Amino acid sequence: MAWPTIDRQSPVTDSDAPPLLSDEVKAKIRSFFERYETRRAALLPALHVVQESLGYISWRAMDEVATVLDIPASEVFDVVTFYTHYWTKPRGKKTIVVCRSITCELMGAGVLLEAFKRHLGVGEGETTPDGAYSLATEECLAQCDHAPCVLINEKKHGRVKPDDVPALLADPDNDKLEVPRSDLYDPVLGEDATTRPRGGERKG
Amino acid sequence: MGDYEPVLLRNVGVEGAATIGVYKKRGGYRALAKALKMTPDEVVEEVKAAALRGRGGAGFPAGVKWGFLPKDRDVTYLCVNGDESEPPTFSNRVLMENDPHQLIEGTIISAYATQSSIAYVYLRVEFHELFHILQRAIDEAYAAGYLGKNILGSGYDLECYIHRGAGAYICGEETGLIESIEGKRGWPRNKPPFPAVEGLFHKPTVVNNVETLCNVPHIIERGAGWFTGIGPPGSSGPKLFCVCGPVNRPGCYEGPMTITVRDLIYGDAYGQGMIGDRKVKAVLPGGISMGILTGDELDMKMDFADPAEYGLLGLGTAAAVVVSEDTDIRVVLRSIAQFFAHESCGQCTQCREGTSWMYKIARRIAAGEGGPGDLEVMYETAGNLGMMPGLSICGLSDGAAFPIRTLIEKFRGELEQHVREAPDEIEQRSPSTVRS
Amino acid sequence: MPKIEIDGIEVECRDGITVLQAALEAGWSVPHYCYHPGLSVVASCRLCLMEMQMPSPKGGGMEWSSKLVPSCQVPVKNGLVVRFASDQVKRNQRRVMEFLLLNHPLDCPVCDQAGECLLQDYSYEFGDPTSRMRDEKHKSPKKDIGPRTLLYSDRCVLCTRCVRFTREITGTHDLCVTHRGSENEIDVFPGKALDNPLQGNVVDLCPVGALLDKDFLFKQRVWFLKRTKSICPGCSTGCAVSVDSNEGVVYRLKPRYNPGVNDWWMCDEGRFGWKYMHDANRITAPVIRRGGVTGTPPWDSVPEIVDARLRAVIEAHGPDKVAVVLSPMMACEEAWLLVRFLRSVASEATLVLGPVPIQGQLQMFPVGSTGDAVRFTIRREKCPNRRGVETIIAETGGPTLSFEVFCEQATAGAFAAAWIVGGYPEPWVTKDFAKAVGQLEFVVAQDLFPNEVTEVATLVLPACGFAQREGSFMNFGGRIQPFDRAIAPPDGAKGDGQYLYELAGFTGLYSGRAVREMMAQEIHLFSMVKEAPPMPVHQH
Ligand SMILES: Cc1cc2nc3c(=O)[nH]c(=O)nc-3n(C[C@H](O)[C@H](O)[C@H](O)COP(=O)(O)O)c2cc1C
Ligand code: SF4
Ligand code: SF4
Ligand code: FES
Ligand code: FES
Repeated sequence: MAWPTIDRQSPVTDSDAPPLLSDEVKAKIRSFFERYETRRAALLPALHVVQESLGYISWRAMDEVATVLDIPASEVFDVVTFYTHYWTKPRGKKTIVVCRSITCELMGAGVLLEAFKRHLGVGEGETTPDGAYSLATEECLAQCDHAPCVLINEKKHGRVKPDDVPALLADPDNDKLEVPRSDLYDPVLGEDATTRPRGGERKG
Repeated sequence: MGDYEPVLLRNVGVEGAATIGVYKKRGGYRALAKALKMTPDEVVEEVKAAALRGRGGAGFPAGVKWGFLPKDRDVTYLCVNGDESEPPTFSNRVLMENDPHQLIEGTIISAYATQSSIAYVYLRVEFHELFHILQRAIDEAYAAGYLGKNILGSGYDLECYIHRGAGAYICGEETGLIESIEGKRGWPRNKPPFPAVEGLFHKPTVVNNVETLCNVPHIIERGAGWFTGIGPPGSSGPKLFCVCGPVNRPGCYEGPMTITVRDLIYGDAYGQGMIGDRKVKAVLPGGISMGILTGDELDMKMDFADPAEYGLLGLGTAAAVVVSEDTDIRVVLRSIAQFFAHESCGQCTQCREGTSWMYKIARRIAAGEGGPGDLEVMYETAGNLGMMPGLSICGLSDGAAFPIRTLIEKFRGELEQHVREAPDEIEQRSPSTVRS
Repeated sequence: MPKIEIDGIEVECRDGITVLQAALEAGWSVPHYCYHPGLSVVASCRLCLMEMQMPSPKGGGMEWSSKLVPSCQVPVKNGLVVRFASDQVKRNQRRVMEFLLLNHPLDCPVCDQAGECLLQDYSYEFGDPTSRMRDEKHKSPKKDIGPRTLLYSDRCVLCTRCVRFTREITGTHDLCVTHRGSENEIDVFPGKALDNPLQGNVVDLCPVGALLDKDFLFKQRVWFLKRTKSICPGCSTGCAVSVDSNEGVVYRLKPRYNPGVNDWWMCDEGRFGWKYMHDANRITAPVIRRGGVTGTPPWDSVPEIVDARLRAVIEAHGPDKVAVVLSPMMACEEAWLLVRFLRSVASEATLVLGPVPIQGQLQMFPVGSTGDAVRFTIRREKCPNRRGVETIIAETGGPTLSFEVFCEQATAGAFAAAWIVGGYPEPWVTKDFAKAVGQLEFVVAQDLFPNEVTEVATLVLPACGFAQREGSFMNFGGRIQPFDRAIAPPDGAKGDGQYLYELAGFTGLYSGRAVREMMAQEIHLFSMVKEAPPMPVHQH
């Protein structure tokens, strides 16, 4: 056959390494159990907590989440890849998501995306070499009244013009929320709750 | 419509409305107290009498849906559908961001009516700020005794949890949503059984849209008669409309379902006309799934009945995106096709393969490489994946088919020029040329 | 039995099945991928859609609904009226086939499934000949997902049968669906390969050539294969299988539908456990040892030799000095013929059941299930017919001994002659047994491979593998299941049934059925043979 076979028999998780999920993360995950009839139902919240903590969801993380929830790792793999919000590769400290759906497109999202690419020097799905930003696009963010719009981590920015991009990128608080955060999904990090580490940093 | 007194949006713009104190000061949680003095069945009957039709897109009467719950059930769940992912819809966001307690009150009353023990609010994950706001409001409601055990001394218990999605439009479909709460991929289930009989964790479950539930406290407080007095028969009650695109005042507005698409774009209380007085080329008035109107079809009424007269699937989410005359229609075609190809869950053959095929063609046409036959294949493919009920498990494929079918029907002339003539790529326009 | 109407024809159907199953059983050809009678219904391929009459929304009777409904999801109910012979239904079938072939590589010439592929068959029967897609195909990779199985993702139609199998039947959850929409793929978690004891079934289940057996890969085009009904000898469960062979060579085993025993499945141990039959070390011709000289006697002299030597032993030591060690690998018919012959010569001959191989643990699937939830069982008893042989020994009466006691007594010199049947694929002769055999004056050894017994036996007769024989096995639950001969015994050998038949004084060709009929006269139980029913029609 013209293309090679992918090896799925060899493990990719490094089983000798110390556990990836800290006790806090695991405790946080377990705190969701009481909300549902099954442990399995805590999977989406669990993955959010893991992604908050590690920046992305590695094979190893999937495997460990599976253990905490007592479900097969394949089921975690299944779910992680279904949802666009879960990253399976390391990403930057901040992730910029540009809406690419119809209203934003009509209001110039295409040009805006090009501007982000130009200023960051990366393409969609890529991370800047300094690890500061990853760039992605998503379908409608339900902020169409502010089209074209962008998310930087949790923070939404509306009516962003290409000319605004340099200033926006330079602003260290471009991901700072104006509302108090709920720490429901946060692993306990003991830091200022409004700026949390993202990206490939390992905690705990 | 200038004299319409907003009901659902009455707290929008009011300082501190998202906090329980201000909400209560403005009359909040009175309906709850009233409802808890009624029997659950009386609440169901009141909502039935109001003929409150679901605002999530399908327009199914909420009271009737609640009535489908089996009589002899032990556990019931209420799922609040806050997945809101249909472009260009943002009315649920406006409701929750500005007035979270209205939703919580509606949820508690509806949960009481259906005797639910847990209400899960399914929130799309991209609603980050909203999540923090709503979670805080829920915490406040717990602290005030509106949630938890023995609510207001009634003996009724209710837990309310937010369940955040993770980026999948299909989780707005009620059974995709249920699967997603269960920790699975959001693959919709075959129906029957309907969720009312077998839903979340195989228990009887009611799924309602945020806006639907926000209406409930007002129905309880002011009575079904008040509700049916607003708007035409079959489309009663206050309704939120979104309008966006190159209009002067994009936003979410409230009104009766007597307004037309024209009112929505040009009305003073609504969009206030087009930027730079551009002409309207097309409108997708019910979210993109319902189909497209030409600039000559702006008299369509934004109610549950009229859209069918214009070849559309329905009122949908009553969110309109306006396309101006200077937009190449291929942009619209490609954008729609891309959305559905990206969001099809991939279970049903027609939808999985059809949406991605249509996107391939639309992308090629948009790149100026369309050829003879492309429009026909696309038109037919749309027909093969969703113009006939039952072809697939859920409504996404119909939603993918209608805009593409109606767009090709209504803009065939323009499209044919592009597929016949030599390659002509769409010019990328900058936002500054759109908005002054 | 509910009656439904399909395309204007009244059809009586079994209770509790779906319209699709009823239509297939009544002879309709309805394409379907995701439906499998042994798995949950997902109704996602949307190929089996039909039209159905429903109560008119306007009231007043039934009318054809404007909606197509999946026939695999609708249970039969008396009075149901449906149709497949409609333009809408046909059109849907054509379009689904077109959709499925959009991204298919169309590599049938190099595909192992060719000839038994439902994509080929359906597109021929229900599809359109040409593809209208001008755009590039989505290419999916080939994945090495397990020690025995390969996944060609680009041929997959995403019916999810394989995934449901590992979730519902094995409970091992090896397979999953990944990604979304047109990027959906079947996969395993890296490092957690598909290697559960029943994994081979996913290859059978796959309606197309996406999941392939490495063992069978590129070995044989399927249209050359002859299918023979057989019973797996791997354990006492007794799965109904078909032996697929060509020109005397077995290529693979496939499960046959057998409700209550193995349903649609079989385990890998049985599936791949037949290779010993083609082992070059097998005994293929009779051997005789006379005063230190070894020779190959002609087959037709065997009865005479046995008869003469046995009589000599009886004369010298008495009729109670003869024993026969029967093997739980034997067919009931073979055991009966041998016992009948030996008792006719030595009326006091002792009947012994040879060693019953026990190995490992009882394995129940889904993993961790008990009671009614169990869907498949692999038993510890690694032989097919302990119960059958035991029944024959018990019903025949006269002297019998357990194997252990026989060993002790033979070692102590209580016997002078024995007929010893092996037939185990694995070495089976223990030191104690070899020692016991050493005490005997005359030994006939009937076995597959040379061992300590065949080395000292006066007469060695080749035994055959199960696919080379016919007869019946009685499984763990007492069900007597017949099996046919798939391939001929190796050159020089003769089927066990055939020479035992001749030895017992019959002439002509041995037939399991004919012998069973005779047996049934003596042992009534053997009239109750249970053939696995024909597969309820569905593909694969
Ligand atoms: C593809 C698809 C996406 C949907 N998305 C949403 C959504 O985001 N929010 C919503 O309320 N309903 C959505 N629905 C409709 C729901 O299935 C369901 O009808 C609705 O939540 C019921 O609530 P209602 O009766 O109050 O409208 C969607 C339906 C489909 C087919
Ligand atoms: S119609 Fe599309 S989105 Fe809906 S279940 Fe089928 S494949 Fe999934
Ligand atoms: S690999 Fe085969 S059985 Fe599995 S989903 Fe694909 S086509 Fe179906
Ligand atoms: S289209 Fe961009 S937010 Fe809706
Ligand atoms: S939908 Fe019925 S067989 Fe697949």
